[in-house]
Amino acid sequence: MFETVLPAIWPYERAMIDLILGYLTIGVVNGSFYALLSLGLAVIFGQLNVLNMAHGAFYMMGAFVAWAAARYLGLTYLVTLALAPLCVAGVGIVLERVLLRRTYGLDPLYGFMLTFGCSLVIQGAFQSRFGSTGLPFAAPDWLSGGFELGFLFFPTYRLWVVGVALCACGLVWLFVNRTRAGVILRASSENAAITAALGIRVPRVFAVTFALGAGLAGLAGVLAGPIYQVSPLMGADILLVVFAIIVIGGMGSIGGTIASSYGLAIIESFTQALVPQASSLVIFVLMCVVLLLRPQGLFGIATIRGHEFPAARLPCVSSNEGATGVTKLRSALGPLLAAAAVLALPTIFYPFYLMKMFCLAMFAASFNFLIGFAGLVSFGQAAMFGTAAYLTAYAAKEWLLAPELSICVGVGAAIVLGLAMGALAIRRRGIYQAMITLAIAQMAYFLYVQSPFTHGEDGIQSVPRGLLFGLIDLRDDMNVYWVCASAMFAVFFGLRRLLSSPFGMLVVAIRDNERRAVSLGYDVKRYQLAAFGVASFCAGLAGSLSAIVFQLATLSGVHWGLSGEAVLMALIGSIGTLSGPLVGAAVLVTMQQFLAPFGAWVQIIQGVVFVVCVLVFRDGLVVRAQIALSAIRRRMTGLSLAAMKQATARSL
Amino acid sequence: MIASADPVISMADVRAWYGDSQVLFGAALDLYQGEVVGLVGRNGAGKTTILRAIMGLLPRQCGSIRLWGRCASGMPAYDRVRLGIGYCPEERAIFASLTVAENLQLPPSIRGVDTPHDEIVALFPNLARRWRHLGGQLSGGEQQMLAIARILRAGARTLLLDEPTEGLAPIIVRQIEDALIELKRRGYTVLLVEQNLDFVLHLADRVVAVDDGAIVENLSTRSDQDVRNRLAGHLAL
Repeated sequence: MFETVLPAIWPYERAMIDLILGYLTIGVVNGSFYALLSLGLAVIFGQLNVLNMAHGAFYMMGAFVAWAAARYLGLTYLVTLALAPLCVAGVGIVLERVLLRRTYGLDPLYGFMLTFGCSLVIQGAFQSRFGSTGLPFAAPDWLSGGFELGFLFFPTYRLWVVGVALCACGLVWLFVNRTRAGVILRASSENAAITAALGIRVPRVFAVTFALGAGLAGLAGVLAGPIYQVSPLMGADILLVVFAIIVIGGMGSIGGTIASSYGLAIIESFTQALVPQASSLVIFVLMCVVLLLRPQGLFGIATIRGHEFPAARLPCVSSNEGATGVTKLRSALGPLLAAAAVLALPTIFYPFYLMKMFCLAMFAASFNFLIGFAGLVSFGQAAMFGTAAYLTAYAAKEWLLAPELSICVGVGAAIVLGLAMGALAIRRRGIYQAMITLAIAQMAYFLYVQSPFTHGEDGIQSVPRGLLFGLIDLRDDMNVYWVCASAMFAVFFGLRRLLSSPFGMLVVAIRDNERRAVSLGYDVKRYQLAAFGVASFCAGLAGSLSAIVFQLATLSGVHWGLSGEAVLMALIGSIGTLSGPLVGAAVLVTMQQFLAPFGAWVQIIQGVVFVVCVLVFRDGLVVRAQIALSAIRRRMTGLSLAAMKQATARSL
Repeated sequence: MIASADPVISMADVRAWYGDSQVLFGAALDLYQGEVVGLVGRNGAGKTTILRAIMGLLPRQCGSIRLWGRCASGMPAYDRVRLGIGYCPEERAIFASLTVAENLQLPPSIRGVDTPHDEIVALFPNLARRWRHLGGQLSGGEQQMLAIARILRAGARTLLLDEPTEGLAPIIVRQIEDALIELKRRGYTVLLVEQNLDFVLHLADRVVAVDDGAIVENLSTRSDQDVRNRLAGHLAL
């Protein structure tokens, strides 16, 4: 039977088979990188409960170490292949021992933020040293060329990559499942405290695990060097794809992680063949589908792992009902003072500086509202900001809509996107929400990169400002300033009012104890979704206004870097306080203003600020100021120093 | 009783907190080589917290804990284990995703005094049949036996057992009792938290009552009835 079939292949079909096998090859090669990276991430997450945002930086470092070792030390390829993962693992151990260790007692989000800061520092450092362009890194001669397999030319180096990656995955599997060290690893990822109580030096286990994960990323980096170019940013975008893969696969088993990496890479490369524009989106789309059908992931086990903040940090939320005259006066004092400040500020500062600050403050408020008041994690707020900015800019420039209408278009689109993102994100909890929102935002980013209407790298420029409500001429900068200031007013006092409403109190109650809220008969998911809607409104308004203010909408508005800035601002200001985002925005904008002459160093310094904030300044400026104020007040009322210390300790 | 002069575990004025709420208010207890001490008290009196304080598993504690005369403050749990203490928590904390064999393989052997495999099988014959099963598939009694076997395997000579008979069938309770009697005969030191007073009185040399985070009674078990009468007030029996 086969004899009759084989000769019947026509040249056309022959070419088809070649093509299919060719794309399969690409898929398997990419799958090898995904597998090494996701395996490392999953091992670290399983053990340390930290989503390692520096994983992409480790991958990049692996490639750079190999490149530098070959270039400056003249080492041969095989030596660098062994050396680079070891070096990266060494960096990993230092990072874990010196920095990450300090976040273990805290919410996993702090580990996430810390590694995010580290990745900014590492990437920034490499960027300022080597620039952003790729450096060539050739495969050794004995791996160049390829096999003619009769029907297909298979480059030797790619075969080598697949072989090495599969060997590494197999060794990790054997290590975890067949050795005593693996038993310790599995035990301490199940229950670290009890493992320690059985005499295992758990801190050492953590360090080794982190080194293992980092080493795998480094290995992926060396292998990737000759295929892609070696560049400081090579790890940034691949990491988000790997997050999506992990969400799809679930982190239940090593085999599952590896299988989903290869499977998804193959799907991605066939999409490349059929619908090239969709190839960068397909994994993210699949992630959404999997979240809808099987939220715990294909190979995952459903677990409930919430994230909690220390109770003292949660702001006091109370309704104004039954307020006495004095407290009513006091609550009216805030807006009055703020209004005075808004009037006075432009006399001192440049209006554009203030407008940027107001926009970023609203943007940070959206992240802060979700994480601090609703207990939801969204590291994809830039998607809403950027969507609103693009649509407002487009509506104003191409449809010639009035500013108020184009703002409505932008904010409306942001809310729709935010609700969609929220609907998917609330299907998982904690750090998974972080991954999902990051991945969805990245999907939006790719969409805008490819859509012609955004004009790619140029962005939508010279957006007309027009007449607001047909009355206010926005061509005057001061008028725009008043509009921005009133929008920020509306957002901050609106949020304050919202939080003292029954809806707001319920949102906070769900944050504090979701199960209790469910058992009281509330449809928790609906409230969480509404919280996403509120946050999207804030982020969208910020984005729309920024398009009007700067007459510009660019890709940087949808980039994950901006989402990171929202986190940083909220953290500096104090997560879970209403005024925190404003303070954080003021600090960040000022910092960027002063650091502008330093070029690439801005990113490094921003990363260092991130790390320092997570390690020693978690409670943020607003809470610190409150503590200091209450301490002064106590001293003035003559309370003893001991009582004050106790109060400080409690509120920390 | 083969009590020697220096206590194995000596705690004095130990205070401990979970978050903002204080649980131990100056607990003091001495445990001597080779004795079995029962720790009794109402729910929430602080029995488990005393064991966790000895292991160094509490978020915040102060006061003095000495193990074999060595000051243990600030010492991590894994180093305390290496001095020869084994802790068996109330929830047993068997690793559900590890097999019985792997659960026993986990603890490091300390100073070459780990209990050999054969002795563990002799002590808990039930486990031998379940060697390849996952921890999560075991019955409550088997999990309890495995939890005790696990700390013996690590070479512990002083055992802190938190309610080893809780929720178990009488026949299993008897097996565990037999195993503990055997361990006592071999000179192990045991601090036993129990709700089941009969079980304690049968095994222990001494009963210590805990109430409101402090030790309130310290009774020899020579006269059962006397002990029962004295404890009645604290246990609200």
